Amino acid sequence: MNDMPSHAPVESIMPKWVRGPQDFIGGLALMGIALFALWASSDLQGMRGFSFGAGTAPRMFGFLLLGLGAAVTLVGILTEGAHLARYHWRGPLFVSLAILSFALTIRPMGMIFAAMTSFLISACGTAETRWIETLIVGACLTAFCALLFPYALGLPLQLLPTFMIR
Amino acid sequence: MGDIFSNLGLGFGVVFNLVQWTPAFLGGASIPIPVNILLCLIGALVGTLVGVLPGIGTIATVAMLLPITFGLPPVGALIMLAGIYYGAQYGGSTTSILVNIPGEAGSVVTALDGFQMAKQGRAGPALAIAAIGSFFAGCVATVLIAVLGAPLTKLALAFGPAEYFSLMVLGLIFAVVLAKGSVLKAIAMIVLGLLLSMVGSDIETGASRMAFNIPELADGLGFATVAMGLFGFAEIIRNLDTGGESDRELVQQKVSGLMPTAKDLKDSTPAILRGTVLGSILGILPGGGAVIASFAAYTLEKKVSKTPQKFGRGAIQGVAAPESANNAAAQTSFIPLLTLGIPPNAVMALMVGAMTIHGIVPGPQVMQKQPELVWGMIASMWVGNLMLLIINLPLVGIWVRLLRVPYRLMFPSIVIFCSIGIYSVNNAPVDVILAGAFGLVGYWLIKHDFEPAPLLLGMVLGPLMEENLRRALLISRGDWSVFLTRPLSAVLMAIAAALLVLAVLPTLRKKRDEVFVESEN
Repeated sequence: MNDMPSHAPVESIMPKWVRGPQDFIGGLALMGIALFALWASSDLQGMRGFSFGAGTAPRMFGFLLLGLGAAVTLVGILTEGAHLARYHWRGPLFVSLAILSFALTIRPMGMIFAAMTSFLISACGTAETRWIETLIVGACLTAFCALLFPYALGLPLQLLPTFMIR
Repeated sequence: MGDIFSNLGLGFGVVFNLVQWTPAFLGGASIPIPVNILLCLIGALVGTLVGVLPGIGTIATVAMLLPITFGLPPVGALIMLAGIYYGAQYGGSTTSILVNIPGEAGSVVTALDGFQMAKQGRAGPALAIAAIGSFFAGCVATVLIAVLGAPLTKLALAFGPAEYFSLMVLGLIFAVVLAKGSVLKAIAMIVLGLLLSMVGSDIETGASRMAFNIPELADGLGFATVAMGLFGFAEIIRNLDTGGESDRELVQQKVSGLMPTAKDLKDSTPAILRGTVLGSILGILPGGGAVIASFAAYTLEKKVSKTPQKFGRGAIQGVAAPESANNAAAQTSFIPLLTLGIPPNAVMALMVGAMTIHGIVPGPQVMQKQPELVWGMIASMWVGNLMLLIINLPLVGIWVRLLRVPYRLMFPSIVIFCSIGIYSVNNAPVDVILAGAFGLVGYWLIKHDFEPAPLLLGMVLGPLMEENLRRALLISRGDWSVFLTRPLSAVLMAIAAALLVLAVLPTLRKKRDEVFVESEN
């Protein structure tokens, strides 16, 4: 997974003094996460004498990440680095939608429905999908999972929609 | 010496344990079934099956298959997981050799010469040598674990909280130094992992930390959830970017003539030996383990070879050495986990996750209180390697056919499989959504050249580090110098500091990058 830093000539929207936009943005995001964590743990108790409070360790790591994020940002400003990689919307969008649909339908509709729907949604993630083939494979896979998880592995999964069971 | 044999004996006893099966249709007659061997076999098979799918690495495979072991008793589950791990590794080598797509970083170098051999119609010997080398390395590593296990456990029992904390710091620093890419960014990822591990309720005070009153977060972020998001979903999304089909040049020739010639064996024997030694040593060190071992073994082999120009053009040593090294390292990396309870890399971190689900806290106590578990697992490693050798080679034809499954059908299947897996951990739909979110985070991390593996390691070590830090400071009455005044702790800290300094020194940086440079040209 290391071969990704794209050298694609993405239109640079970065100011000129940023020489490594990839690190610059990455570092800023880390600082953002650190600040968010520091805010989120601000209500927790700190040190009591020499014993740690609930908030001590989160704050410690938060400040550490803030510093490291700043350092990564600095590297992005000072040294020549990779440009921002090109993002694609289709794959991430449909895979996320498929996961979301699975999560929302598994309880009310059961596994068979949830698996089949989210198989079809995620198949939209690429332009290469051929629908007949996808339908057949999806059905087979759903059947396989319906046998594997509840029966072969003994996991408590509900297969059918709730309204059909009652 | 006697200890080692009795321990190994205990282990093999567990692995070869027969369970009497009395099916009704036989009318009371019972058949003895070696359950644990079967589990190991199934694990190795399924691990290879998933590991062989291009673009799915070892970590993703283990994360994805974690749920199928939940229903088993702890010993069986761990044996199966170990099988999955080796299977996945071997599957990764198979894809490297046959399609030039290394499933994981550890087999990147295997692809260099392995794929060339396959193109010359010698895929069979390449696969066979990879398996033989791995098996030999596995045998040596198993003995090494048995030898080092007991003394290291004794050492671990002498550790106080301060020493444990220092050891974990050292482990994390090792992980950074031995990994590929920027040291600074890897440290940042570790700290991000540590921060993420803080979500949930505080062990000592019970206060809810950064959970935003979401009930599913009260127990913290599930380890399997994060792992599956960062490695499973993120990989899928990333692979979709490159448009699946584009650069898959599968070797079209039939894989025939599996057996290596006498000359192949003669050429590769020293390479296997060197690879095994190098791999065993690097595997014990916390950190990249298998990855650095394979790169280092390849570099070494090229350096000592009389015909270095042959490397990259189908030299069998170029397959034998890295494959032996990464298997040896994969196995010896169990040593710090089993004896000290500290996972040295992301796969071992997953193992900790699996153990925790079964209510086992890895560490020196496990070695003493549940010896059958530890030694059973160690013995099963050897059996697992043997399985790979005798089962996978004849099945190469099936793996090749699997490689032809188009990505457009594969990725929705993986999405479903992962989703069901995550859901089944806690029967919680929120976990699935969280994993999806971490998938997007992982995609972003890859795009910004951050490695997700150190993050996972940080996440597992976070609670342990906090606990030991707290205790150490409580015992020393708030005196931070305790980490430097206790001799053992001071030594560990000194090594950690020295490593960090060395890693950022330009000369050593260059050496380190040199080891990894093979993958780029």
